[in-house]
Amino acid sequence: MSPILRFRTALLALAAIVVVLVAPHLLAPYQVVVLNNVGIFALVTLGIVLLTGIGGLTSFGQAAFVGISAYATACLATMADLPPWLAWLGGSPWGALAAGLALTLLVAAILGGVTLRLSGHYLPLGTIAWGISLYYLFGTLDILGGFAGITGVPPLRLFGIGFESSESLFVLIWVVVLVSLLATLNLLDSRAGRAIRTLNGGQIMAESMGIDTFRTKMVTFLLAAGLAAFAGWLYAYTQRFVAPTPFSLQAGIEYMFMALIGGAGFVWGAIIGAGAVVYLKELLQDVLPLLLGKGGNYETMVFGLLVIVLMQKMPLGITDTAARRLKPLLHARRPAPSGAAPWITAAPPLPRRPRPAPAESILEVRGLTRRFGGLVANHDLSFSVQAGQILAVIGPNGAGKSTLFNQLSCVDTPTAGQIFFRGRTVNGRSARDMAAAGLARTFQHVKLLPTMSVLENAAIGAHLRGGKGVFSSILRLDRREEAQLLKEAETQLVRVGLGAHLHAEAGSLALGQQRVLEIARALCADPCLLLLDEPAAGLRLKEKENLADLLSKLRAEGIAVVLVEHDMDFVMGLADRVMVMDFGEKIAEGLPEQVQANPLVLEAYLGGAE
Amino acid sequence: MNAQIALLLGQDGFINGAIYALLALSILLVFSVTRILLIPLGEFVSYAALTMASMQAGKPVMLGAMLVALCLIGLLMDARDALRAGRRLRFRASKLLMPAYVAAVTGLSVTLPLEHIGMAFQGALTVALVVPLGPLLYRVLFLPIASANGLVLLIVAIAAHVALTSAGLLIFGPEGSRTEPFSDATFTIGDAIINSQTLWVIALSFILIALLYAFFEKNLYGKALRATAVDRLGAQLVGISPALAGKASFALAAFISGLSGVLIAPITTIYFDSGFVISLKGFVGAIIGGLASYPVAAAGAVALGLVEAFSTFYASSYKEVIVFTLLLPVLLWRSVAQKGVKDEQ
Amino acid sequence: MSAKRLMVSMIFGALYLSPAYAQVKVGVVTSSSGPVALVGIPQKNTVPFLPAKAGDQTIEYIALDDGSDPSAAVSAFRKLINEEKVDAIIGPSGTASAVAALGFAAEAGVPMLAPVGSTAVILPMDDKKKWVFKTTQNDEIVSTALAKQMVKDGVKTVAFVSPTDPYGDNWLKVFSADAQKAGIKLVDTERFQRQDTSFTAQGLKIISAKPDAVMIAAPGSSAVMPQTTLYDLGYRGKYYQSHGAALSGYLQLGGKKVEGTTVAGSIMLVLDQAQDSNPSKQVAAAYMDAYQKKYGVKPATFGANVYDAGLLLEQAIPVALKAGAPGTPAFRSALRDALEQVKELPGAQGIYNLSPTDHSGFDERGIELVTVKNGQWAPLK
Repeated sequence: MSPILRFRTALLALAAIVVVLVAPHLLAPYQVVVLNNVGIFALVTLGIVLLTGIGGLTSFGQAAFVGISAYATACLATMADLPPWLAWLGGSPWGALAAGLALTLLVAAILGGVTLRLSGHYLPLGTIAWGISLYYLFGTLDILGGFAGITGVPPLRLFGIGFESSESLFVLIWVVVLVSLLATLNLLDSRAGRAIRTLNGGQIMAESMGIDTFRTKMVTFLLAAGLAAFAGWLYAYTQRFVAPTPFSLQAGIEYMFMALIGGAGFVWGAIIGAGAVVYLKELLQDVLPLLLGKGGNYETMVFGLLVIVLMQKMPLGITDTAARRLKPLLHARRPAPSGAAPWITAAPPLPRRPRPAPAESILEVRGLTRRFGGLVANHDLSFSVQAGQILAVIGPNGAGKSTLFNQLSCVDTPTAGQIFFRGRTVNGRSARDMAAAGLARTFQHVKLLPTMSVLENAAIGAHLRGGKGVFSSILRLDRREEAQLLKEAETQLVRVGLGAHLHAEAGSLALGQQRVLEIARALCADPCLLLLDEPAAGLRLKEKENLADLLSKLRAEGIAVVLVEHDMDFVMGLADRVMVMDFGEKIAEGLPEQVQANPLVLEAYLGGAE
Repeated sequence: MNAQIALLLGQDGFINGAIYALLALSILLVFSVTRILLIPLGEFVSYAALTMASMQAGKPVMLGAMLVALCLIGLLMDARDALRAGRRLRFRASKLLMPAYVAAVTGLSVTLPLEHIGMAFQGALTVALVVPLGPLLYRVLFLPIASANGLVLLIVAIAAHVALTSAGLLIFGPEGSRTEPFSDATFTIGDAIINSQTLWVIALSFILIALLYAFFEKNLYGKALRATAVDRLGAQLVGISPALAGKASFALAAFISGLSGVLIAPITTIYFDSGFVISLKGFVGAIIGGLASYPVAAAGAVALGLVEAFSTFYASSYKEVIVFTLLLPVLLWRSVAQKGVKDEQ
Repeated sequence: MSAKRLMVSMIFGALYLSPAYAQVKVGVVTSSSGPVALVGIPQKNTVPFLPAKAGDQTIEYIALDDGSDPSAAVSAFRKLINEEKVDAIIGPSGTASAVAALGFAAEAGVPMLAPVGSTAVILPMDDKKKWVFKTTQNDEIVSTALAKQMVKDGVKTVAFVSPTDPYGDNWLKVFSADAQKAGIKLVDTERFQRQDTSFTAQGLKIISAKPDAVMIAAPGSSAVMPQTTLYDLGYRGKYYQSHGAALSGYLQLGGKKVEGTTVAGSIMLVLDQAQDSNPSKQVAAAYMDAYQKKYGVKPATFGANVYDAGLLLEQAIPVALKAGAPGTPAFRSALRDALEQVKELPGAQGIYNLSPTDHSGFDERGIELVTVKNGQWAPLK
């Protein structure tokens, strides 16, 4: 970080601390109470932002997690005769926090374990079901005080300081919120954070980059539950009682509203959303009786309608709309930086895997067949590729080329036949294993994260070349490795010719450039086999020449390349060998000139005489 | 427990299960055509039951007002969309179909002496009033965001549920209602008393399921809907409008759930907020069916009704806990059954 | 003018028009949505009938909904106390909410009139609870009266039914104790949910326990389904209902299946048969007529809890005014003292006699045990 930036960050932190310390004394007492609620809600909503907005997992179970922790805290703080094995926890807020966290995480791990492997619609429906189930459990268990709840939670004391007044709680709550916010920002700006963000961009891509999507989902789910547990602990000490209603499904739904209204894709959206919902409700409570009369109960209905209108007008939330409006102003002040920051360029390069020996057999395919029901997409294919060789696979649409790629990268499993990668069979291996073994690929339909920068998108490819996890990124202990990963990304981007676009959003690139970005991402994995699905589609002539140069260089480095391509000039000038497919079968293979002269190929491409 | 109790519990579970099955089918239908999880489905059930009850109690039927309001908003949105697209406002006869229908049923509901028109006609008019709610809600709430991601659709669906429930409170009040049974007769089989209302529910559910099957297998429109469910883009290319398919699936869902509401209204007390829990159990059925299989969903929903009845017998205060926790093993089974990693559309 | 601007100016216009002169301000917190809504809605609906004036002083009421959520109730209390500077608060509807909120009322020195059933809010009396007055018949008193009647009716075994909500929770606790005291054996306890579509399973369980009587404690129309289901299943023992069932909807929904049930109600139920000399008769009649005129239905007993709170304030405010102007701590403290001194005040549910030790002031005189005869309420002989 540059000195100026560091100074600015320190100044911001100082300002935040001053605001948090001074604000409660300037505000009206009721406003302090409201802001305390906003803070606790924001903490829960932050979990949803992480989980839903960034990780793409929809959960209505956050309120129930808050409840588990709040009940655990209240129980430990009020129960006079704890069973002996729990007695050591009694009375200590830290003990309560530990117990609340542990219990919440345990439940979250079980629930996550059964749903996170399933497709996206099961999680929201599943969490709705648990939301109801846990609500009734809270209300039914005698030990939890039934529907009347637990009262008489003593005030919180930490380090000898009592937190009884709303003003002191304000400081505590908002310190926790700001620290969590900072931690989340740190996390997202790291290897582990990129893995979480990848969940939203398609799991096949993530797995092909070596990211364990189930584990990443679980980690995200647990982080969100952990934030909820913190909120529950604060809730119990702020309200000093617990009852089932605040942890019901309705509350879970409301947290989701907060996240979406605020902007689920933005960390700040948590605070903005929680604040917007709380103050909107306050406003409705004050204004509606004046507009519609005191008799009816219009608040909930109007609130529901407003949520609908907001989602129709701002589907990405207030923060997104505000950011778009403010962007021109911000850009005018700060010119976009070019090139990577100094702390990145100064990093030492990542170690590389040993190069395969020249002419080592990289890929060996024998009798590969894939059937979908009655359709034979690949029939009895056999071929091989050596290190330092480029094999082009060509064929009309529907010839089975993409199916072949999916099997080579273990996204799909062959019906029959064998694939050997560097002499080992790939049977039973996953896309992730293949990535670890040195296979990298691009996709026919580009799979990028459009709102993430070009640099970060490329860095996803280097996922397996780093090892720092969630906690080191939150604590910023990962910076050395992070610099190396980003440097690798920068190097590869410069190599493919995107050096001028490092900080642009990936979605803002032209389609051809996006394809090239995918190649840079694949190169970040330091592969020995590169599978490229139509890399030249959408490129201009000059760009195609550059791409051909790049691929030639890779060949010279000993990398094996298999590419699917329609552009004959591109293929014929570049490939060492060409394989032609039609209706799932190999109809020809050989040197480019030989293939071009093959009558079968001409028939397949030009259509035989009727 | 003896055989008689088991029989009675089975009967009870079977009725509820049949209703859950109908709702599960509606949920699947709407989901496969529009990708929307229709959370407000339960409100159609409670609106129908409560409207029928107000008719029998001689209270004014207010649902028409809501239809008229939604219809007007829909027309305004049509006009706005047309103006934005730079088209001139053109008159098309098909545009008048919905307003005319709404005007007709609303007119009937305010002018007829509803208390005295007989139960069959009350039921028919109730369903006729609930059905347009489906397409109108689709037009006003979902069509403007038809291409949004699944999360936004889900949130709008939930917000619609919230708004409709509290509108229900305003329209029908907080107290529950119940309608007259279709017939008072009871039969005795062995030791067990079988209520004739039970037979009505089960018979009508089966007839409805059979009709749905025929609609999807034999009828052109049914086939078109199915085509949309399989491949939205493809269906659009061959001239099936996704907006029309959406409206049709919503109308069908409103019809099925409206009828379910009329069916259970005599068996139980229905409140303005009863619908949600009922529809959630339909959702559990749909989940058991993997959000894809109609027969499995229907069977799952019936099984759920039975589990509910028996678990209530053994531990009534833990009923909801048991019913919704049972989803865990189902999800686990689905989780284990699923192989590899898949991308969502 | 754009639609947005119109909206904003409407909102601010409306705010501007709200009166700002000195007067007595009373907050009303009810649960008009959420699980306790059946209790809270008649309470909220009663707000327009609360006295507009006490002595020469006008009273302004500010009604808030807590969504049956105790933390929302606490927030509402703090808002009323800190922002609106109210002199007294009527509410909240739920016992859990009342227990949670009473500390804040006491801390600010604002008298609180709680329309909740449980005595937990006033007993044991302490420095905090001395700010709380309870405007309902204690669940305990109602339950004891019903238990006594059961003994009189020769009931030896009873099954208890209540919904899984705070109302049902408290009744289960109170009635279990009373039944034990009265020597009645509680042979089965069943819970249900208001929105349940069926009570058959619980009904079968009750029948297999073969009790002499069934006691049902549920608010409003939710009290009906358990009883009709039991009837349909063939149970013909005695039925008892708490004051939750004491409203006309119970008769309508139950029809001939609830004939002969013993219900604990107040004078509101048997208004026609009550002696004209009963001072509550007129009060109850006035309230019920006004309510029926506005909403088309008769109010549930829960509404009367709030109505009576208004009457108590109407009585106490003129006394308190002597000690200070509305909005001052002196006034609020005097209001509390004055409420403690209320004697023989006829309310819609009975006669109030408050004292420093008794902040509920109802005795068994407030309860009328009634029965259902030919689809109408009738006094129990």
